[in-house]
Amino acid sequence: MLTLLTLSWRNIWRHPGRSGALLAAIIAGLWAGCLTVGAMNGMLKQRLDYLINNEITHVQIHHPQFSRDPYPRHAISGGDQIKSWLEQDQRVGNFSFRTLTDGMLQSAIKTSGVRIRGIDPPSETRTTRFHEHLIAGDYLEAQVRNPLIMGQSLAQSHNLDIGHRIVLVFETLDSELTAAAFNLVGIFSSASEHYDNANVFVRADDLKGLLGGEAIVHEIAMMLHDADQAATVAADLNAEFTGIIAQPWHELSPELQTLVDYGQVMLLIITIVIMLALAFGIINTMLMAIFERLHEIGMLISVGMSRVRVLAMILLESLILTLVGALTGMILAAVTVTWLKERGINLELFASGLAEIGYDTIIYPFLQPGEFVLIVFVVIVVTLLASTYPAIKAIRIDPLEATKGK
Amino acid sequence: MPVVQTRQLTRTYNPDTIPVHAVRQADLCIEEGEFTSIVGPSGSGKTTLLNLIGGLDRPTSGSVHINGTDITGMSDSKLIDFRLWHIGFVFQHYNLIPVFSARENVAFIMLLQNRDKDEIARRTDELLDEVGLEKRKDTRPAQLSGGEQQRVAVARALACEPKIILADEPTANLDTTAAMNLLDIMTRMNREKKVTFLFSTHDQRVIDRARRVVRMLDGAIVEDSCHEG
Ligand SMILES: Nc1ncnc2c1ncn2[C@@H]1O[C@H](COP(=O)(O)OP(=O)(O)OP(=O)(O)O)[C@@H](O)[C@H]1O
Ligand SMILES: [Mg+2]
Repeated sequence: MLTLLTLSWRNIWRHPGRSGALLAAIIAGLWAGCLTVGAMNGMLKQRLDYLINNEITHVQIHHPQFSRDPYPRHAISGGDQIKSWLEQDQRVGNFSFRTLTDGMLQSAIKTSGVRIRGIDPPSETRTTRFHEHLIAGDYLEAQVRNPLIMGQSLAQSHNLDIGHRIVLVFETLDSELTAAAFNLVGIFSSASEHYDNANVFVRADDLKGLLGGEAIVHEIAMMLHDADQAATVAADLNAEFTGIIAQPWHELSPELQTLVDYGQVMLLIITIVIMLALAFGIINTMLMAIFERLHEIGMLISVGMSRVRVLAMILLESLILTLVGALTGMILAAVTVTWLKERGINLELFASGLAEIGYDTIIYPFLQPGEFVLIVFVVIVVTLLASTYPAIKAIRIDPLEATKGK
Repeated sequence: MPVVQTRQLTRTYNPDTIPVHAVRQADLCIEEGEFTSIVGPSGSGKTTLLNLIGGLDRPTSGSVHINGTDITGMSDSKLIDFRLWHIGFVFQHYNLIPVFSARENVAFIMLLQNRDKDEIARRTDELLDEVGLEKRKDTRPAQLSGGEQQRVAVARALACEPKIILADEPTANLDTTAAMNLLDIMTRMNREKKVTFLFSTHDQRVIDRARRVVRMLDGAIVEDSCHEG
C-alpha cells in the first residue's frame, strides 16, 4: 500500500534531528564495517598470493609421510615419470624439484635449527618469485663450492656476512650424522622474519651428494595456469601415481586455513558489534517515536486502522530508515574501497609488527558483491527483529488514547 | 431498526478498589437521522457513554447494538473493522494525521476501506467542498485553524459513510464563530444527507441547536427531551 509507505516515510522525517542521528550512525557503522572487511579481504588475499607465489605454489607433491616425519629417507619415488607427466599436462605451468632436510647451522658464535632447502636455481626461479627477496650478494648460481643463502635476520644474529663460511649438520639417508661447510653467497629478506630465521637455501645437487643419494627429491612444487584447478590437478596426480601425496595449496598451509578462520571470526565480531548498535538505535528511536504518538496511533485504531496495518507502518518506518542508511553507507564504502583499491592503505605506523609475521605494510582492500548482499540481508533481518518490540508496543495501544485530554 | 440501542449499559472503573460508576444502566435508543446531544456536568459520564457506543471501550455489563448488531462481545479486530465501516468519529483533539494534508486525511479512511481510487478522489473533493475547505485541501493540520481541523475531521468521519457519527465535545476548543460554523455544517449534513449525529457538549448554544437532548448525571440518564432545533 503506497499510502502506508508515504505515511511511514513522512513519519520518519517528523524529527529530522533524531532520525538523522540514527541515519548518520548507520551510515558510519556500515561504512567502517565494510572498510574493515575490505581491508581484511585485501590482507588475506595479499598474504595468500604471497605465500603461493613465493613458497607454497599451487600444488605440491611429497612422500606420504614426509609432512609428519621430514626424514631424508621419506623421498618421492618415480620422479622421472612425474616429471614427464607434469611436462605434458596442459594445466601445469612451471614446476620445481626440491630436496629438503632439517639440520643445524653452526657459526663461530652459535647454533640454530634450520630447514635446509636444496633447490635447482633455474627451475625454482621460473616457478616461484623467492629470488626477488635477495638483498645482497649472488643467488646460488655463484661459482663457488657449496654456496648457501640465508635470511638477513639469521645472518645478523650469527654475525655473518657474505663470504663467511658456516657448517650445516644433518642426517644422511643412512641415518648417520654428517657435517659440511658452506659459503654464504647471498642474503635475502622475505616478508616474514620468522621464515628468514628458519630457512636456508643451497643447491639441490650439493645437498643430494651429501645426503648420499642421486635422484633424491622430497618436494615437487608447481604453478598452474589457473589457481582454481589446484584441487583437480592434485586429485589427478594422486590417481596417477602411487606412493606420493599431491596437495593443493589450501591443504598445504595450515597458516592459510588459520588465517581464513581468523578472518571469519573477525568478520563475525565486527558484524555483531555493528548490528547490536543498529538494533539498540532502532529500538530507542522507534520507542520514542511511538510514545510521543500514543494519541495519534490510538486515533488511527479508533477510526478503523487494523493492528496489522499499524504493525506494518512501524516496521516500514524502521526498515526504510535503516535501508536508506545501510545503502548510503555501503555506497560510500564501495566508493572508498574502489579509491583505496589502487592506492592502498598504508599501515606503516604498525608495520614493524606486521612485517614480522609476513604481511605487507600497504593493504589493498576489496569487497565482493556477495558480501554486500549478505550485509543488506543481515541489516534487514536485524532491523525487523529490533523493531518487533516497539511495533508490539504500538499495536497494543488502546484506542481510548484518542479520547484522552491534551 | 434503531441505529443505536443500549440496554442497561454500565461501565464501572476500578470495580475492585474504589469503584467509579461512570455509566449506570443507561437505556438509550437513537433512530436514523436523529441529531442528539448528550449534556451533563463534568464527570457525569458523557465521554464514557460515547466510547461504549463507539466500541472504543467495553461495558462492565449491559449491551450495545449498532444497526442491530451486538458489538458487546465482538473480538478486538472485528470491532476495529466494524468501526471502519459503520461509525464515524470526531474527537476533541488528535483527529488528524499531522503528516497528511486535509485531502490525504480524508482519503486515508477510504483507502483503509479499499475503495476504488477514482471514487476516493472524487468523494474526498466533494466532502472537503461541503465542509467549506475547498481552498485548504492540500494544507497540513498544523497550518489549519482549530475550526478547520474539526471540519476536516467531520469530512473524514463522513467519508466512510457511517451509520452514525459520534462526536465528544467537538466544539470545546473552538471560538464561537468556529463552533457555530461547525454546528451549521453538522446540521446541514443531518438535514440533507440524513446523517445521524450523537455528540456531547457543555455549550448551551450547541445544546440549543440539538433536536434531542439527553441529560446525564452521575452516570445515569436523567432526562431525555425532544424539541425542534
Ligand atoms: N480511565 C478511568 N479510570 C477511572 N475513572 C475514570 C476513567 N475515565 C473516566 N473516569 C471517571 O468516570 C467518570 C465519568 O467520566 P467521563 O469522562 O465519562 O465524564 P464526562 O461527562 O465526559 O466529563 P467531562 O465533561 O469533564 O468530559 C468520572 O468520574 C471520571 O473521573
Ligand atoms: Mg468528557
